[in-house]
Formats: sequence, structure tokens, C-alpha cells
Amino acid sequence: MTRRPWVASGGNAGVALGREALAHADALHHLARYLTRNTVDAEDLVQETYARALRAAEQFTPGTNLKAWLCRILQNTFVSAYRRRRNDPTVGGLDTVDPGVPDAAEETWLFGDPELDQLRKVVDEEIERALMSLGDDARAVILLDLEGLTEVEVAEVLGCAVGTVKSRLARARAALRRRLSDYARR
Amino acid sequence: MQCEDVRPLLLDAQRGRLAPAAEAALGTHLAGCPACATEDQAERLLTEALEHHLPQCPAPRALKRRLAAAWPSPVTTGPARWHDRLRSFAPVLAAAALVLVTVPFLASVADVWRARSAAVLVAEAVNDHVRVLVSQHPLEVTSGGMHQVRPWFEGRLDFAPVVAFGGDADFPLQGGAVGWFVDRKAATFVFRRRLHLISLFVFACDGLPWPVRGAERMGSAEIYPRALRGFTVLLWRVGDLGYALVSDIDAAELRSLAERLIDPA
Repeated sequence: MTRRPWVASGGNAGVALGREALAHADALHHLARYLTRNTVDAEDLVQETYARALRAAEQFTPGTNLKAWLCRILQNTFVSAYRRRRNDPTVGGLDTVDPGVPDAAEETWLFGDPELDQLRKVVDEEIERALMSLGDDARAVILLDLEGLTEVEVAEVLGCAVGTVKSRLARARAALRRRLSDYARR
Repeated sequence: MQCEDVRPLLLDAQRGRLAPAAEAALGTHLAGCPACATEDQAERLLTEALEHHLPQCPAPRALKRRLAAAWPSPVTTGPARWHDRLRSFAPVLAAAALVLVTVPFLASVADVWRARSAAVLVAEAVNDHVRVLVSQHPLEVTSGGMHQVRPWFEGRLDFAPVVAFGGDADFPLQGGAVGWFVDRKAATFVFRRRLHLISLFVFACDGLPWPVRGAERMGSAEIYPRALRGFTVLLWRVGDLGYALVSDIDAAELRSLAERLIDPA
């Protein structure tokens, strides 16, 4: 996606959101960076997100979570603009990216104390590499949970049921732990 | 409660989403089941690794500048905003004055006025916090610890900001700056919780309207919790100093920081 200039067109509603929306730029860029996996695309994604948010400012319901609303726009933009562009059927979902990960419910107490030791010693590079190795949906649900969004808000951002969020998050975290455990064995 | 019932609840328990009864049942099970206790510990360590070891990627300043330029929002300085706000409140104040003279409901009217004035404090705290978030240079001194930040204010303020808590692993201190709170200078301390910034404004509180209802006891202080536009604000006073703690983090987490600020260990 190329950078393009955009202008304020959201009217009074856009101006009213103004600084509060901009206050979430760091969180949105963090999310975008880990979704797109590179900084250039992340900047474009955030910029496009704010452009869309400004155009849709009238649709924001005052009193609701502005960050969750912005995350939903970012996620939709990412799905429509980036995931489609990749045109790669093996990328885009937790199941396809990580077929070897068993269901979280079946993965009960897989690692035990050695895993605890590894988790205590995990370094920045390992956690980043492990997260990046997951599929888009898995990364998104982990990052949104980390941002403090409720399960209902995450469900709205991802466009799925709350139950789906629960199961996706459990599977994504199990996959992340497996990755980190794999690093320890090497 | 069986082990297969426990697993899906571990993350909910971490996030504080369980009802007290369910939380108690979970605790009982974990106390007697080493396997589930290990699983619980692993989930907590994973969250800790994500919160503390995943590299943070804040928006570059150039991007923030582009966003701010494209999304106009009037930004003015403290005193000017105070005068603007006074003008906007002029009809209300005039009406209130008239009522005070003509109607024998002095106490109740005063309460209404004070509540509105206190709302100005809350709005000011949120606006100042947002200004910290969107500023290109939010911190004038970056933190090497409170011993470095607090002396930096000497000579820049006409009061000594008393903040004994210097940050910890949960709430690392990022730095400080001098700002405005309503019509006066304030010391701004910025803490961090995961990706979220938390602003603490310390100011001389003489002459400022203070909330009259909703006080809660927290340690040695009375706090006034308020919520505005998705942000939580905690106000309290110690002597002549007022404190406003603001962030969009979970209210319980913000209270946890307030406890450390009010009664540092």
C-alpha cells in the first residue's frame, strides 16, 4: 500500500474525536507492526485506519470504547488490504499456519516444570519470534487481549462470537507456549 | 470442580473475570492439584513474558505528526483554556449567582455548582493526559528513577511535588515534565503499564473546586474515582497538594498504582 495524503473530512464528529483518537496511535501501531510484520506496512495501515476512522466518525457511539472501535477499523483494513494481497492460502489462519498444534483442551499439562523454567528465562527476541510465527488470527487475538480489550470487544473487532474468541485465544496461547518450548529444546 | 473444568477458567481468573464463588472454587482446586497449579503458573508466566518481553512498537513521531496534521484538534495552553472554559461556563455561573441571591436553597445550589466545577477538574485531567499521549515530546526528563526525576523539578515549580513511589516492574516510571493544570503549573509524572501510559499530575490545590461526593478511603487518603470518555481518573489531596492520576488502563490496575503512590512500601 502506498502512502497517500488524506484530509480532514469527518466534520464535527471527527474533530470531537480528535485528540482522543490520536492518543491511541501507539497501541494501534504496536498492533499493526505485529500484524503486518514490518514497519513500513504498519505505518501505512495505521494511517489508513485513521483516515477511515475520520470518515466514519459519525458512526462512533460516544461512551463506548474508542480504542476498540479503532482496532476494529484497523483489523478490517488489514484483512481487506493486506491479507488478500498476499494471495497465499497457507497464510491467514491459526489452523493453516500451525497444523501441528493440538487443541488446547488436549494439550493439558504438556510441558510441566521444564516449560516453567523456559518461560522464566524467555528473552525479547524469542517471544517476538514465537508470536510472529503464529497465524494472523492468533496474533490478533493475543495482541488484542494484551491491549486490555474485553472478550466482547475482541469479538467485535474480529467479527466473531465471544466463544470463538475464547477458543482462539486458548489455542493461540497454547501454540505460543509450544513455540517457546521448542526454542528451549534446541 | 474437575481438571477439565479448570483449564478454561485460568485466563479468566488472571483477568479478574470470575465471580467470587468460581474464583474460590478454582483456588481450592489449584491448592490440591499440582498439575493444574503448574498449568496456572505457566499461563501467568506467558502473560508476564508477553507484557514485559515483547518489544514495544510505538508509533514513530513522524507518523504522529502526519496523523495530527490530518486530524485537526485545537490545542491551547493551560491558562487560555481556563479562560475559554470560564467564558463557556459564564451563563451557568450567572444563573447560579441569581439563584443564590433570590432562592433560599443555598446549600443545594452550591452542591450543584461544586459538582460541575469538580467535573472541570476531571475533564482537565483527561485533556492533559491526552496531551501527554499525543505530544511529540511528552517528557522533558526521561527517567533514570525518581531520584533523577524529582530533583529536575527544582526551580521549575513554586512547590515541591511530593511523590515517594519511584516506579517498579509493574509500573515503571518513564519520566516527567512541567505542564499546566487548570490555571497553574503542575508536575507531570508519567508511568507505564504494558503499552499504556499513566499520567500523574501534582499541583497546588488551593482555590480549586474539589468533588464533594463519592469519596473512598484508600490507605491514608480519600480518593475520588471518576470515569470520563473511556479514561479513569483518581483524584486525591495530601496537605496543600492535589493529585490526579489518569489512564485508560483497567480501573483496578490504576487503583493498584494509586495505592503505591499514596502509601509507598
